[in-house]
Amino acid sequence: MAGDRLPSRGRIDRSRPLRFRFDGRDYTGFHGDTLASALLANGVRITARSFKYHRARGIIGAGVEEPATLVELEGDAASGNRIATTVPLVEGLSARAVHAWPSARFDLGAVNQLIARLIPAGFYYKTFKWPDWHLFEPAIRRAAGLGAVPPAFDDSYETRHAHADLLIAGAGPAGLMAALVAGRAGARVLLMDEGIEAGGSLLAHKAAIGGRDALDWVAGAVAELAAMPNVTHLQDATAWAYREHNLLMVHERAPRADGLRGRGWRVRARQVLVATGAIERIIGFDGNDRPGVMLASAVQAHLNRWAVRPGRRAVVFTNNDSAYTVAADMAAAGIAVAAIVDSRASVPGTARAQVRGIEVLPGHLVTQTHGARGLRAVSVTAGGRSWRIPCDLLAVSGGWTPSVHLWSQSRSSLRWDDALSAFVPDRPAQAVTAAGAAAGATGLGQALRQGAEAACAALGLPAPEVPQAEDAPYAIEPLWTVPGAGAKAFVDIQNDVTVADLELALREGYGAIEHVKRYTTGGMAMDQGKTGNLTIVGAVAERLGLTPPEIGTTTYRPPYTPVDFGAVAGQQAGPVVLPYRHTPLTAWHKAQGAVMYEAGARWRRPGYYPREGESFQQTVDREARTVRQGVGVYDGAPLGKYLLRGADAGRFLDLVYTRPMSGLRPGQGRYALMLTEDGLIFDDGVCFRLDEGRFLVSTSTGNADAVGQALEKLLQVERLDWDVTITNITGQWGNATLCGPLARDVLRAAGTDIDLSGQAFPFMAIRDGSVAGLRARVARVSFTGELSFEINVRPRDLPALWQAVLEAGAAQGIAPIGSEANHVLRVEKGFLSLGHEVDGTADPYDLGMGWAMAKGPADFIGKRSVLLRRSSDRPRRELVGFRPVDPERQVPEGAPLTPQGRKEATEGFVTACVRSVVEDRWLGLALLMDGRARIGQTAHVRLPEGAVAVTLCEPVFHDPSGERLRS
Amino acid sequence: MTRYDVTITRLPLRALFEMRGALPGDAGLPPPPAPLRLTQAGDRVLAMTGPARWLLMAPLAQEETLERALPEAVALSDTLTFFAITGLGAGQIMAVASPLDLHASAFPEDGCAFTEAFGIRALVRRLPGGFEIGVDASHADWFAAMLDRVAGCA
Amino acid sequence: MLLIDCPFCGKRTESEFAYGGPALAPRPDPAALTDAEWVDWLTVPPNPLGWVEERWWHARGCGAWLTLRRHTVTHEIAEVRHGR
Repeated sequence: MAGDRLPSRGRIDRSRPLRFRFDGRDYTGFHGDTLASALLANGVRITARSFKYHRARGIIGAGVEEPATLVELEGDAASGNRIATTVPLVEGLSARAVHAWPSARFDLGAVNQLIARLIPAGFYYKTFKWPDWHLFEPAIRRAAGLGAVPPAFDDSYETRHAHADLLIAGAGPAGLMAALVAGRAGARVLLMDEGIEAGGSLLAHKAAIGGRDALDWVAGAVAELAAMPNVTHLQDATAWAYREHNLLMVHERAPRADGLRGRGWRVRARQVLVATGAIERIIGFDGNDRPGVMLASAVQAHLNRWAVRPGRRAVVFTNNDSAYTVAADMAAAGIAVAAIVDSRASVPGTARAQVRGIEVLPGHLVTQTHGARGLRAVSVTAGGRSWRIPCDLLAVSGGWTPSVHLWSQSRSSLRWDDALSAFVPDRPAQAVTAAGAAAGATGLGQALRQGAEAACAALGLPAPEVPQAEDAPYAIEPLWTVPGAGAKAFVDIQNDVTVADLELALREGYGAIEHVKRYTTGGMAMDQGKTGNLTIVGAVAERLGLTPPEIGTTTYRPPYTPVDFGAVAGQQAGPVVLPYRHTPLTAWHKAQGAVMYEAGARWRRPGYYPREGESFQQTVDREARTVRQGVGVYDGAPLGKYLLRGADAGRFLDLVYTRPMSGLRPGQGRYALMLTEDGLIFDDGVCFRLDEGRFLVSTSTGNADAVGQALEKLLQVERLDWDVTITNITGQWGNATLCGPLARDVLRAAGTDIDLSGQAFPFMAIRDGSVAGLRARVARVSFTGELSFEINVRPRDLPALWQAVLEAGAAQGIAPIGSEANHVLRVEKGFLSLGHEVDGTADPYDLGMGWAMAKGPADFIGKRSVLLRRSSDRPRRELVGFRPVDPERQVPEGAPLTPQGRKEATEGFVTACVRSVVEDRWLGLALLMDGRARIGQTAHVRLPEGAVAVTLCEPVFHDPSGERLRS
Repeated sequence: MTRYDVTITRLPLRALFEMRGALPGDAGLPPPPAPLRLTQAGDRVLAMTGPARWLLMAPLAQEETLERALPEAVALSDTLTFFAITGLGAGQIMAVASPLDLHASAFPEDGCAFTEAFGIRALVRRLPGGFEIGVDASHADWFAAMLDRVAGCA
Repeated sequence: MLLIDCPFCGKRTESEFAYGGPALAPRPDPAALTDAEWVDWLTVPPNPLGWVEERWWHARGCGAWLTLRRHTVTHEIAEVRHGR
């Protein structure tokens, strides 16, 4: 059935035929077609099944307003939920209808129609609420057919930033005119249009601008803009969200020249012009969704732009003047127009004059459509008489609704315009204006003038010359639904919402328009009520005896049209999503076969270095034992480091830490906690005094940035007059940390000019010198409980240092140590770990670290809050050690402790559980209510498989006096 | 083959020194004329990157000399890794990477500013035929992968 | 995504900044306050539908801590200043 293509006219290239496939059948179209126009040209009338009732649907619109025919593209171009009227036809395109299985023509889900009256609005809420909606959701989603996610990950998406003096949404007459004015004045202009071609409404009907064909004017404007380096003009690019401070999100589909599947733009515009046009709306009558019922404007667009005749014998149903031009175009294209059914009692002479020879029926209504697999006739009624008119096409015009979605997303206000029977832009809430049909313009001349004026107003330019164009008259008398419209009269075709649903919502007390929306789903989702929102508002108003402005609108939400996830995520997808970090040794670790983990602050660190034939546990045991008995070395580069300088650095640190630092002697350090002002542990670390005016603050890896932020805030907000500067030097020092009883021997063997004796270089001291011929700063700190030397060098020197200590320690059996073994070692010693024991709820006393709270009158951050909390005697969760009664029983970290392991409120949780090398068994740490008082008793970890008894103990399992780390 | 006409080069280490407060006279360069601008003398560059914050850049060979000359400056040479992004498509890459407006009217020839690139802190300035971005050295491998992906390198 | 006019760097997008909480009164001398006064200072910042003062850190720009006067409904930013 290729007889629906007109022999001439249209903006298709008949010399470029294209083959395509829809629902498993092969067709041919032309370059310039959309999938929808090509289907119509091939006589395909049933192109979709509806969302809820699986009713047969056809093409209704001509652009983004199309509510019915959503398709999935298959093959290389795979993407879900595309609107058929906006999919440009390309060779080999393959698509299928989203809601139908196996096809739109023969859809098994159509049985839903038989029970349609059993599934009205609110059905899901009422029916699937017990015991849990989530039980039913998957099946309902499948049945509702929301489209499928394309199968393969594709990385050819991009997101980019842009800046503009003026962003114009819409390249119709108003937008193009504005772009010309702004571009000629030298402004940075971004012109974004959702269509394949510029021109907007001009593409669909004949018009003249400045005495020539309007499309010649469009072509001239596009060429002039293309020559301006200050103008960026994109087609097939939709501004889909308007955010605060004039940030707009744009989805550019298939920027083919750059080999991308999609591009997202985040545009920050000084001024925005909304020139998004208007959309024709539907009227609520029974069967207004039957294949063959189309928007009048869509019929016109298909005739003129795509040379497609969507029917042979047509009826027009309207409440306004604009459909008369459409009727005239239909007649000229050889469609028999049986009648124009106009709900208005009288039709203006200017409208009648366009359709001489066609029967006009004023004061009439279409009440029903008929036909099994497509439209065969409509029922027309007037004065109590009703009859059928046979036809295969019904062109409906309920009037024009300015596309105020973007405008409203900017939080700018709307006002009701009686003459248009629609809401139009009123007061801007951001630097935004509207022009053209979006602003309520009904004539072409008016649209051009508004576009020019808006650009001038936005940029402060003098009034320009605007080409002449006709302002065709437009009159409308609102008609939202026809009397008797019910369960088959759709007001939101995409979401299958009917007049009966609205009435049900009102009966059940959902009178506010936002409630009507939520109860019926009308105006929701990707359709955003483009063709039906105002019909819903009008219908509700009518039934409540109110006016539409008294009802108001619902909130317009982004996205305006469907957006590919890829165009939001851009490059941040796939293997390089998050900004991972490497140390200078990462390559070495990997070459050694280390299993790499992402640890705090996204550092990729070696978890453990498995050897041939070792199990995970064997590797970790070996590494931990190496440190306890011999010597190990780990890559400590990620540790946070800040340099503090200035006369007040000492007293600043006294304020920051729980123990005073101002009294430190040069070369000496001290371990302390940092608290938040509400008295909870924020971080722990060692602070060294390098010399009189310089201190080195070390932080935990995961908290490095947060500590920097807190220190800067305290300094810049609270202590503005103090002489302190803070510099993040984390990246200026890498380190190899030697740990174990033989660490001193290895460091000596590597060659150093630092006196390593215990007297000259005690625990918690720091020394500058050279190690292995490299400039180094060595600190005696310990995270393992063993004798340790943290050898800091410049990162560029770290690989050389690493190699040197490995060679120097070869005789002692040195081995690299990963974070798994480090975790075992610190748990055995009862050292704190961020995210384990320090969970944002613990204060120093909870963790048995009251000793780290400086006594005396001096103030420090968090002190008052700790004391305040301690002044009440309420029990707290406290740190304890535990040993499972069964030594071979591992307990998962994070597992809850409950009384006797019963199903009761938790009294704490396991913060760490490791296989200890010093005790050769599993043991761990926990935060437990009133835990210190319960040491020696039995507690219970509650697990799905049953309770695990553990014996509580002091939270230290190794060298409680600290002799080894001080040795 | 790349999507954009662009060459991306990871630059070698350079000497970097941060200075705070009043600018010492012996930096060897006049102070920049305004915030987020730089001055250049020979192979040294001095940028004003924050309120009373200065960043001095020089070839690595001058590191020790500068360290002696500027005892109050903090050496940060190893903290940043720099990438040169040059070619006709350099602006495209920058638009993808950074929300900073790099139009000539917004970012002058001698502009130099910390901003973000792919969501991390980055120092941006112009180079002949393109731009230079400096990022935390620990992020350099990830950043290079992101640049390659944007450029469309295989 | 707000656009914040940093006094040093000019207009920059929100993602360059870290939110630093409501702008509290200057930290009082804890020893000079009753428990109730301390709790009040620490935990009861105003949270109106309207104008608030809050701290933002230009973490990815110049490193300055800023105080903003922002409208919680419209997001309008009336003032940006250094420090408190």
